[in-house]
Amino acid sequence: MTAQTVQQGDLVTVIGLEVHVQLETNTKIFCGCSTAPADGPNEHVCPVCLGLPGALPVLNEAAVEAAVKIGKAIDATIPEETRFHRKNYYYPDLPKNFQITQYDEPICQDGELEISLEGERHTIAIERAHLEEDPGSLQHVGGSIDTAEYTLVDYNRAGTPLMEIVTAPDFRSPKEVRAFLAELEEVLEYLAVFDASRDGSLRVDANLSIIDGERVSDDGSIELADLEAANRTEVKNISSHKGAEKALAYEETRQKNAVRRGREVEQETRHWDESRGITVSMRSKEAEKDYRYFAEADLPPLRVAHWKDEIAIPELPKARRERFASEYGLGEEAASKLTSTKQVADFYEDVASEFDPDLAATWVADELLGELNYRDMQITDIEGRLEEIATLVELVATDEITAKNAKEVVLRGMLDERDDPETIVDREGLGKTDDDAVQAAVLEAIEENPDAVADYEAGEGGAINFLVGQVMQKTGGSADPGDVNGLLRAELE
Amino acid sequence: MSDDIFITEATIDGESDGPLAGKQVAIKDNISTDGVKTTCGSKMLADYVPPYDATVVERITDAGGTIVGKTNMDEFGMGTTTEMSYFGPTDNPAAPGHVPGGSSGGSAAAVAAGAADLALGSDTGGSIRCPAAFCGVVGIKPTYGLVSRYGLVAYANSLEQIGPIAGTVEDAATLLEVIAGVDERDGTTRDPPQGDVAYSDAADGNVDGLSIGIPTELLEGAEDGVVDAFWDGIEQLESQGATTHDVSLPSVEHAVEAYYVIAMSEASSNLARFDGVRYGHSGGFDGNWNETFAAGRAEGFGDEVKRRILLGTYALSAGYHDKYYKKAQNARAWVKQDFDSALEEADVLASPTMPVTPFELGESLDDPLQMYLADANTVPVNLADLPAISVPVGDADGLPVGMQLVGPAFGERQLIRAGSALE
Repeated sequence: MTAQTVQQGDLVTVIGLEVHVQLETNTKIFCGCSTAPADGPNEHVCPVCLGLPGALPVLNEAAVEAAVKIGKAIDATIPEETRFHRKNYYYPDLPKNFQITQYDEPICQDGELEISLEGERHTIAIERAHLEEDPGSLQHVGGSIDTAEYTLVDYNRAGTPLMEIVTAPDFRSPKEVRAFLAELEEVLEYLAVFDASRDGSLRVDANLSIIDGERVSDDGSIELADLEAANRTEVKNISSHKGAEKALAYEETRQKNAVRRGREVEQETRHWDESRGITVSMRSKEAEKDYRYFAEADLPPLRVAHWKDEIAIPELPKARRERFASEYGLGEEAASKLTSTKQVADFYEDVASEFDPDLAATWVADELLGELNYRDMQITDIEGRLEEIATLVELVATDEITAKNAKEVVLRGMLDERDDPETIVDREGLGKTDDDAVQAAVLEAIEENPDAVADYEAGEGGAINFLVGQVMQKTGGSADPGDVNGLLRAELE
Repeated sequence: MSDDIFITEATIDGESDGPLAGKQVAIKDNISTDGVKTTCGSKMLADYVPPYDATVVERITDAGGTIVGKTNMDEFGMGTTTEMSYFGPTDNPAAPGHVPGGSSGGSAAAVAAGAADLALGSDTGGSIRCPAAFCGVVGIKPTYGLVSRYGLVAYANSLEQIGPIAGTVEDAATLLEVIAGVDERDGTTRDPPQGDVAYSDAADGNVDGLSIGIPTELLEGAEDGVVDAFWDGIEQLESQGATTHDVSLPSVEHAVEAYYVIAMSEASSNLARFDGVRYGHSGGFDGNWNETFAAGRAEGFGDEVKRRILLGTYALSAGYHDKYYKKAQNARAWVKQDFDSALEEADVLASPTMPVTPFELGESLDDPLQMYLADANTVPVNLADLPAISVPVGDADGLPVGMQLVGPAFGERQLIRAGSALE
């Protein structure tokens, strides 16, 4: 819960989320069909995920394992026994016209996730997280859902394991929502149960309402009755962190304007239209839907008690950030950057184990991530080339090339031309010039610039810099300016 | 004679040898057969050809059995007479002019008429035992979880099991042995705690020392002729060394209500998939999908199916869920408990399978309640997940009567042994 100072007459935004994430398993949650992208529609289907008469679901253990990992990562209670229910509703993407999900006995209960926003930490309570099956997908041909000529159904997605993560109404701003989604995604990727690059792998529904600041107590908490008294909207069709922030900022403004003008906010479901950047009303004042939940007898109650202890989870971003700070002496910003994904963190640790952790931090957090970011690339885009980056850092650490050349020529060449660092160093002649060549250049510079020598001898400090510049020019920038300075002074004494 | 027994006659050849080699097996038409129409006795699925075999079908053909056709049944298993079939009624070969019982009426009639050596039925509240009793043949409803339901088109999935129908207890036991045992495609299947599923050698007729409990509640309300035939059967068992005593199952007076609430609730969800999009009778593909689904379902389902879907939907709805569905679940737990304690004092429980003899064709059509009440002795067994067998015990005025024996969970061998002593 966010503590904040609230002034009389302030309007406070309250947001809660339902986040659906697709779990990374090889096969679907209740059948053996592949979850990999298919070449065409309705290829990864079988009697079970098509809901053919007589087919039965069998639970995929990998999905349960992923759910247990998530439960552990968010400090949730994982009950000894959990079970599945049917959620009954008719929809053309739902092969059985009911969805197998969890109802009153979800696999994860009462968890939390800490987020950091502008240097402040907030804890977001997670009420529950449960397993369910994804429906198929609809393709509206010739328009949107309202205007399409006809609609096609693709069941490739049907049966993909989903985890629905439901938070408490603990968010007070769209920014917090964005930070939460980023943190959640990071944790899920650390657990290797989620692939953010997969289309539609993250889907968010958000409930937003506006509360009079006077109803918020000093510690930031709000009475349930006050929350329930406020009309809220459910915003659907959000599929990214950025989209969540934009959609909720729009909705926040819309509702606050209504309240300030003395109009009542209608309780309704609204659709986030990403391309227009607005939310539009889908259906209003509808009665609470009756899904007629009841136990799914085809799946026996699931005992997870003995699994809980067997399933280990890796070090999570928060713990790793803290360890990076203490073990490598990194500042908070660098530690955050270096733990942003598991791949980056693993890579940093590989490099830091061989070179100076500070140098490694500079190269990974600042130079590499900066150049990648500039090119809109991810660390995963250079997967398999991490050895080359390590070589580059080594070339700098062992003084083979200058830091300036390493960044401006070698790293950029590696990313833009996909060459390896040694090839670029050879091609560009960046290897630091050997001592004899530098010595020869020093003597040449002294001979060719008697005026500067005279100035130096007359005690004019700037003259030595001119001579250093001359030597650097002659060596094509590959000499170390500090060394050159020393050599010049030795010759001129 | 057999033209009203099968909905589809088709031959699926089995392996050349195995325990069922040379046997002709009829399959109830709610069990999926690859490439052969599986209609569930419904207009909804009149043209549906499944792309896969049920596990039991695979096991039968692997064991050498030859499948000869898909038998008539009450639509989606919802009925006690087989008259609820979209394809018309089936006559009772053992009592012409009468119903064969249901819902697996075609399967029992196939065996009674000699159109097949063996048959598979499915039993949600008596649908194997009732037609077995009405047609004078043997039927076994296995313990819930003994036989895979993969490929059985669900009516009420927490209650139903596939089971054998045959002319003799030994033949039924042989077929049960073939189809029983864990199937990885059905997460509710279990192997018996004793380990194996050997049943055919249990039909030895040895009931010496067998303790039989007779639930008094299940004799109340039965027709006189049925009760007389039942006692003749009991005497037959006693004369071979079995002992009998009365037991009480006070919960069973609520069993029919509890059964119908649970079965209809589950049916309302199980039958939701028939929307005409992927298979089955379609209401077309134009206009509002909700109206199109409704049109297809209005045309494709018969009245009894609609009645049960509507009642089930109601029983699960907010505000009624606790009053009906939840209460029925409590009653189910009570029935289970009653059977468990009765079976602590007895090896098996015996009753008439049906309190009545077969209705005349058409007789019960206008009174669904009369039909539901005829299930009084069979439905408690499904609520308790227990195994039961129905074995012929003579007749009442020339109409077949069956005795039901109920055993403890996975006590099929005991039932087969006791049942074979009645032959």
